[in-house]
Amino acid sequence: MIAVGQKAPGFKLPDHLGREVSLDQFAGKRHVMLLFYPLDYTPT
Amino acid sequence: MPEVEALLPRFRTAHTQVLGVSVDSIFCHANWGQSLDGVSFPLLADFHPKGAVAQSYGLYLEEAGITDRATVIIDAGGVVRHASSVTPDGRRNIDELAALCEEVDREHGSGLPAIPAPAGIGKAEALFVKSGCGFSRKVMLARENLHLQDRIPLKNVTDDPKAKEDLVRISGKDQAPCLIVDGKAMQDSDEIVRYLVGRATDVS
Repeated sequence: MIAVGQKAPGFKLPDHLGREVSLDQFAGKRHVMLLFYPLDYTPT
Repeated sequence: MPEVEALLPRFRTAHTQVLGVSVDSIFCHANWGQSLDGVSFPLLADFHPKGAVAQSYGLYLEEAGITDRATVIIDAGGVVRHASSVTPDGRRNIDELAALCEEVDREHGSGLPAIPAPAGIGKAEALFVKSGCGFSRKVMLARENLHLQDRIPLKNVTDDPKAKEDLVRISGKDQAPCLIVDGKAMQDSDEIVRYLVGRATDVS
């Protein structure tokens, strides 16, 4: 797992509402919380 | 994810964008979100190449072909401030994670712009759809994931001859999907979804 204090790897991925979302687009504007999960139809 | 959706105003106040990530496709995400009464924050498809983003965070479980159930909080400067796993079978405590985001926000200090509240959609007369149509399905899923059922009446032109008459009368043709908003007809499914997302969320 990535360690606290490291630079977060960038990404750009499509989402379920037709958006292309990148980490870059939030730089200097918002913090980001990534919720990784195994599969859809599983609990939070 | 419903626990997260319920706390979105709290994350917004803490200048935090929530993003879900799994290896499922965007179509699977959209249907799952609908089954949960709507997920409006981005569910990202780490689908092709499979698990590449999870891999870059050291969270891809190669043998099982799935991603760990793990949370990473990144500050606005791009630095990882929190990373934890509850294992694939575990459950996250969203309330605790919201508190962590608030702490990250406090430590970051002031200076971040407030996340704007969504503008809201215009006066929507109807969303016309037809049965067995992928484009119609896509716009219906967006309507439900964005909690717009009360704002946009749905009319199915396959089941309801009156709906078909209305569609032709208003838009001049029988093409569905078609969103009638502010007196204008929008017929491209991508354009419809873009409009709804742009007006009903703070990420477009």
